[in-house]
Amino acid sequence: MPAPPPVVHVPFTHLQSMLLFALIISLAFGTLGRRRPADRIRYAAWSFLLFMLVGIAIGWAMYPFSR
Amino acid sequence: MDEPVKDASQPEPLPSPVAAPSEEGRELLALAICVAGWAIPGLGHAVQKMWGRALAVFLAVGALVILGAGMRGNVFASRGEDAFATLGYFADLGSGSFYFLARAAESAGPDVSHSTGDYGTRFIATAGVLNLLAALHAYEAARGRKA
Repeated sequence: MPAPPPVVHVPFTHLQSMLLFALIISLAFGTLGRRRPADRIRYAAWSFLLFMLVGIAIGWAMYPFSR
Repeated sequence: MDEPVKDASQPEPLPSPVAAPSEEGRELLALAICVAGWAIPGLGHAVQKMWGRALAVFLAVGALVILGAGMRGNVFASRGEDAFATLGYFADLGSGSFYFLARAAESAGPDVSHSTGDYGTRFIATAGVLNLLAALHAYEAARGRKA
């Protein structure tokens, strides 16, 4: 019987997952949404910041209902 | 209210018979570019020589799919148990050929009993939706709209 394929597991915490998600999506948004490199960087940074702020704010807003 | 008065002596200009086929051809080409962009992430921009955008879309969709599968997220199949599973299938299918890559990479099956697996499911679905957005962007660029 052939051996089962190795299980690849990428362990991330909640914060690491959110950081990674925000980073990838912000870079894609910046590149797609703007033409000039400076505008792309500014848009990606702003998008990343908003992703993080809104994510943390929603996390804290849900905190009272988590217990 | 203030409708412009048409001069009956001057006939309305007819659409040019030469311009119509080229416009139709352009629309068909834009559709083909859209489908290409959906099938292989970034290809829609690459054929229009938008190299930066093509690379960004390819890397972003690829990274999200590989990370999502590595986090043991759920790659939805066509036979959904409920409406959410069907919606998830359509979102996953948005990543085109990368959907099959995700299915192949997910050899051990999903594990959504941990938060990582649940996030992985969102990563894979987001890859699909992002690729659909990029394919529509390539379509608009091919039609000559500002992109």
